[in-house]
Amino acid sequence: MEILANLSLGFSTAFSLANLFYCFVGVVLGTLIGVLPGLGPVATIAMLLPVTFSFQPVTALIMLAGIFYGAQYGGSTTAILVNLPGEASSVITALDGHAMAKRGDAGKALATAAIGSFIAGTIATFLIALFAPPLADMALKFGPAEYFSLLVLGLVVSIVLAHGSLLHALGMIFLGLLLGIIGTDVNSGAERFTFGQPWLADGVNFVVLAMGMYGLGEIINNLEKKETRDVMAKKVSGLRLSWADFKQILAPIMRGTVVGSFLGILPGGGAVLSSFASYAVEKKLSKNPIPFGEGAIEGVAGPESANNAGSQTSFIPMLTLGIPSNPTMAIMIGAMMIHSIQPGPAVLTEQPALFWGLIASMWIGNFFLIVLNLPMIGLWVRLITAPYHLMFPVIIVFCAIGVISINNTEWDVFMMAFFGFAGYLFSKLECEPAPMLLGFILGPMMEEHLRRALLMSSGDFSVFVTRPLSATLLAVSLVAMVVVLLPAISKKREETFKE
Amino acid sequence: MKKTILALLASAFVATAAHAAFPDKPVTITVPFPPGGSTDMLARIMTPKMSEKLGQPVIVENKPGATGAIGAAQIKRAAPDGYNVLCASIGVWAANPFLQKNLAYDPAKDFDLLMVAVKSPNILVVNPNVPAKDVKELIAYLKQKNGKVSFPSSGAGSSDHLSIALFWMITNTTGIHVPYKGGGPAIADLVAGHAEVSFQNLNNVIQHIKAGKLRALATTSEKRSPLLPDVPTMVELGYRDMVVTSWQALGAPKGLPADVKAKLHESMVAALKDPETAKKLTDPGFEIVASTPEEFSRFLNAELAKWKTVIEVGKITLD
Repeated sequence: MEILANLSLGFSTAFSLANLFYCFVGVVLGTLIGVLPGLGPVATIAMLLPVTFSFQPVTALIMLAGIFYGAQYGGSTTAILVNLPGEASSVITALDGHAMAKRGDAGKALATAAIGSFIAGTIATFLIALFAPPLADMALKFGPAEYFSLLVLGLVVSIVLAHGSLLHALGMIFLGLLLGIIGTDVNSGAERFTFGQPWLADGVNFVVLAMGMYGLGEIINNLEKKETRDVMAKKVSGLRLSWADFKQILAPIMRGTVVGSFLGILPGGGAVLSSFASYAVEKKLSKNPIPFGEGAIEGVAGPESANNAGSQTSFIPMLTLGIPSNPTMAIMIGAMMIHSIQPGPAVLTEQPALFWGLIASMWIGNFFLIVLNLPMIGLWVRLITAPYHLMFPVIIVFCAIGVISINNTEWDVFMMAFFGFAGYLFSKLECEPAPMLLGFILGPMMEEHLRRALLMSSGDFSVFVTRPLSATLLAVSLVAMVVVLLPAISKKREETFKE
Repeated sequence: MKKTILALLASAFVATAAHAAFPDKPVTITVPFPPGGSTDMLARIMTPKMSEKLGQPVIVENKPGATGAIGAAQIKRAAPDGYNVLCASIGVWAANPFLQKNLAYDPAKDFDLLMVAVKSPNILVVNPNVPAKDVKELIAYLKQKNGKVSFPSSGAGSSDHLSIALFWMITNTTGIHVPYKGGGPAIADLVAGHAEVSFQNLNNVIQHIKAGKLRALATTSEKRSPLLPDVPTMVELGYRDMVVTSWQALGAPKGLPADVKAKLHESMVAALKDPETAKKLTDPGFEIVASTPEEFSRFLNAELAKWKTVIEVGKITLD
């Protein structure tokens, strides 16, 4: 019953007029920056921090948190409509979401994303309320060795992401790994593959790569065959989900929520993995006649839920331990300190109204988001029916602005243009960019944790198997690899038999 | 009298027509790091009061890259008219020159130094599972473990990396330096027990010390921190040279007109002396310095000399 008392304290805090208002402001702002490609929550929260100086601490945090999960939410809209993933997590949404939009089902895809996010957000809120402290302790069990093994699992799973040629997918993963190495090495501080250029010293930015490969590449592709675009816009069909659709997405949403809630609490990239992992799970379990990658609705429902659940549970280590699990949480910690609150275990006992108020506000914020976004779907869908010759210059301009806003450097725009051309080339060669982006994200993280684990063990490789959690993860990777490879092998056999 | 005023006016007019009424447009403070770090936080907390004092908006612009070198080099090349100000940390001012081979700026020569705004002490912390209860026991522990003790830092060449190197040099010990991407993950592994000993900014670890998740052995400031009155300084323990503070300072491109420089400095002092702004800085653990340009200049030279030695003797290289 304690939980009820806590939640009622939370809701009574969050339901004050000011808190409701700023929660609303936060999610609206978040949705806006999420929809605009390239603009991220980190810069927005940093810029708005001084505005919150005069607020009550809980009000400030409620608004800033709203920006964060609102942006996660808005990001999927652009990914689905124009194939522009502004964040790592929406790369996956773009895969099947945009394919659905091309088929005329943009409304359905958006509704799926909205409902999935809402359900996942609701469940994650209760998970935080029930289990925050024990979950946070579990996150601490992940040392460098465990992270490395988790990332191995992620990379194995990424092979599932590929459809079409396994060879192409492997090639793209390796290209991604190589691109990820560009920049300053964490361990030695040495620069690699920067050719002495300071603008490469921090590596290639994910947003630059993703927007080039997807957004610009797609535009070049569309311009080449200019009829298809306008045709697809004309056959916009169902905006609403039918009951049958809903039944189809419910299980993926639930599975996505579980995957996302778990991976979200891991500091350092756990949340990125969640949508990839959920996609792989759904692809394996799907009975949908539409193949994944060509507009399967589960491919939107699962990852979107995972992504939202993960962004919610990423608050757990921040609130209960004072440990940021991503850059946004690091800024939130700064915001708390400016308001004289030391994030850490004491927040729960010393500031229960703040802790529970923030958690309750997340549920309210999710509610605002769905109320705000479901009616907007019609409007969004009408937006992509605009003539393409008007659409694409606008998209390019927004991409350029978004990219400039990250590091304030024109080089990133040039790089985006380069990757746009590369993206076009790869689509001609039938090479999917998704495995490449995964390699790009996972590669440097794997290297970092591998080398750190070995540094700490003085070069002893046995740490990966003597630590139980790490050993388990490696074992699961092995099983996953077998499961992934078996059908491929048996299919090849079938093919040989046919001939 | 009239003549001198006229002459002053004329010279002001000739120097830069724009600064006759400095400032007549927004002033930009460049932070050479991504949003969200200590330096960014300082700039964003200071700017509202600076704007009030100057009567023009003061804008924070993040220009991250190459541990602050890109943003600093950009300000070096900017016009010395007072509208371009750099707000950077100890690394940019005092460590990069000895760590980065092709550094495009010289902190002592390319800037008009304005002020050291704030500083914060580093704390020597250990995971509670480390048996050492004080610095003496820690040194014994390090010697007994024969250098196989992990020291996480927020990155190769960071100020906490340099603190570790200085500590090893002064106490004649050694260990395994484990760099991370920023302080957050380093502290996480320290709290979780995956790593053992570190030097961290007071504001980043105070809550863990209070919660018993980390043990503070010493502070590296000259005086004990009011937040941790029971923790001795390294100086008290006999390590006179083990004084390390992280600091944030402001500068502008070389050649700033004297009156513009004075006005900028005045607005910064006003911001830091404002009780409300000061509280926002002292609560997270900053100490307000608000030095004069001359004090900054002397301080910078001392810091440059100190870190040059540490980096050379500790053989810290980034390649």
